[in-house]
Amino acid sequence: MHPTVPVRHSLTRRQLRTAVLFLAPAVAAIVLLRLVPFLGAAWSTLFERAGVGLLAEERFAGFDNYVTLFGDPLFLNTLVRTIVFNLVINPVQIALAMAIAVLMTRRIPGRGIWRTAVFIPCTIPLVGSSIAWGVALRGDGPVNGILSALGIGPQPFLTSPTQALPSIILVASWVGIGYWMLFLIGGLNDINNEVYEAASIDGASGWRTFWSITLPLMKRPLLFVLVADTVANFVLFVPPQLLTNGGPEESTTLLMFDAYRRTYTYSQPNLGATSTLVLTLIMLLIVAIQFRLLRERD
Amino acid sequence: MTTTGLKSPIGAMAPSVVPPSGRIDIQHKLMIGLLTVLAIGVAATFTLPALWMLLGSLRPGSQVIESVSPLSWHTLIPNTWTLENYTTLFGELRFGTSMANSLLVAFASVIIGLALSVPAAYALTVLHFRGREFVFSLLVIGFMIPFEAIAIPLAQLFTDWGLNNSYVGLILPGIGNGLAIFNMRQFFQGIPVSLREAAVIDGASDLRIMTRIYVPLSVTTLINSGLLIFLAQWSSYLWPLLIISDEAKQVAPIAIARTYTDTSFNFGQMFGGALLISIVPAVLLFLLQRFFAQSIATSGEK
Repeated sequence: MHPTVPVRHSLTRRQLRTAVLFLAPAVAAIVLLRLVPFLGAAWSTLFERAGVGLLAEERFAGFDNYVTLFGDPLFLNTLVRTIVFNLVINPVQIALAMAIAVLMTRRIPGRGIWRTAVFIPCTIPLVGSSIAWGVALRGDGPVNGILSALGIGPQPFLTSPTQALPSIILVASWVGIGYWMLFLIGGLNDINNEVYEAASIDGASGWRTFWSITLPLMKRPLLFVLVADTVANFVLFVPPQLLTNGGPEESTTLLMFDAYRRTYTYSQPNLGATSTLVLTLIMLLIVAIQFRLLRERD
Repeated sequence: MTTTGLKSPIGAMAPSVVPPSGRIDIQHKLMIGLLTVLAIGVAATFTLPALWMLLGSLRPGSQVIESVSPLSWHTLIPNTWTLENYTTLFGELRFGTSMANSLLVAFASVIIGLALSVPAAYALTVLHFRGREFVFSLLVIGFMIPFEAIAIPLAQLFTDWGLNNSYVGLILPGIGNGLAIFNMRQFFQGIPVSLREAAVIDGASDLRIMTRIYVPLSVTTLINSGLLIFLAQWSSYLWPLLIISDEAKQVAPIAIARTYTDTSFNFGQMFGGALLISIVPAVLLFLLQRFFAQSIATSGEK
């Protein structure tokens, strides 16, 4: 090993050529597959169509689309709903994932088996989870069968404006919790055992140990999971599209579904792009936070 | 209960420094018992719906709902076992074609994605040039924006470019993965610069150094990155929904979702299809779960 500080290479022509060759495919991919569509979408939000449909003539409209969108109570409700949905589903999923991760790292018999069991649903793509719960939560489905056996009347679940969104939280959490649990278990295993031994010498209770040792040491994996989970749930699309079609009474219309429906069902691509752009800006903010978290180190 | 005496707790169960005592021992065992029961309960809650799907796919489709009332063991366990759902799926429903399409798309994306990310991560690690950090941020942040966010405008472009209803159209969006490039660069940075310097003195080109030194040293990271790309493509739903209308090129998640909205479809077949699309990720994740959790969970740490 050379003890010297890496010498700042004076850039040779050859090195630059290598850099260009090695980076060109990735840069071309990001430009064509991310930047161009993003900028194209941003540009198209400034236009409107003379008629309805994808082939109608476009004309410059300034910020009309934004005015229309933010003046549309349906969109504002969707925006608020998406944010509230995320403020509920992310803490719920992570709190449960953390609780189960802690449970599954205890020295209990057969923990590998129980851990695997929790992880099983994660291998089922969201489409599969949606199908399973779509059938399970039917009026004549097994969940209502169990509820009836327990003396609770049948519930409408996906067909009720108040229960549909919580049902979708269930659909997404069944596959999500085990997934995030896996990362948290990774983090828990990284905590040095000596720290716990020291705490137990000091006579700290289990609860106290959790709050004052485990949680602070888990800050980073928890933050990572929180941001990654938020990113995933902000663009949640499959359950509303497949199970409820945004209904009943718009109660499950989330931003991603709204952008999809405006573009394809209502044939208003410029409004759809505007909706997409609002979503992307929110995502960019979350990703910027995520990037900071990933780079931070001490 | 009284016979426990002063028997010391078993090795790893309690820190050796704590003075052993009978009361603590019993309390400890009780606690372990309670936690085990809790763990089994949690495990059962998560597994039961999957088990219900699996068993439902092995019974005549109409029985899935019929068996609910009255509620009994037969709600879960079929009284008639059959493989008919699967033969129909692979026969007249041609689900095998959709599965093959999904496999082709996912594997091609992994290979192209790695071929694209490895040189990029390598150049961003070892080569010094102006704007390196900028290019790195551009790639990582750009690819970290969830694909869904730009899927709709991109689908309109792909239609203009004539890439709809093509495998190329399915594969292209999956090849760039910010987390993959990020992880690889993190790992490459841990490889001693002296290795490359020695190779350069010996006259090796960067292509050779990358393929002969960096790639063999980072197999774990490569597997992990490949897995990320594979899983994203395998479960992709919105994108094929937007650009594929030709049934012969349709991927498995859409093929199975289409049947959900079809009222004449039977639940046994639907469950069978949903389970079939879970098998590939299940096998991969169980084989590779060590790599998977490790490198992502720790990428934020070191």
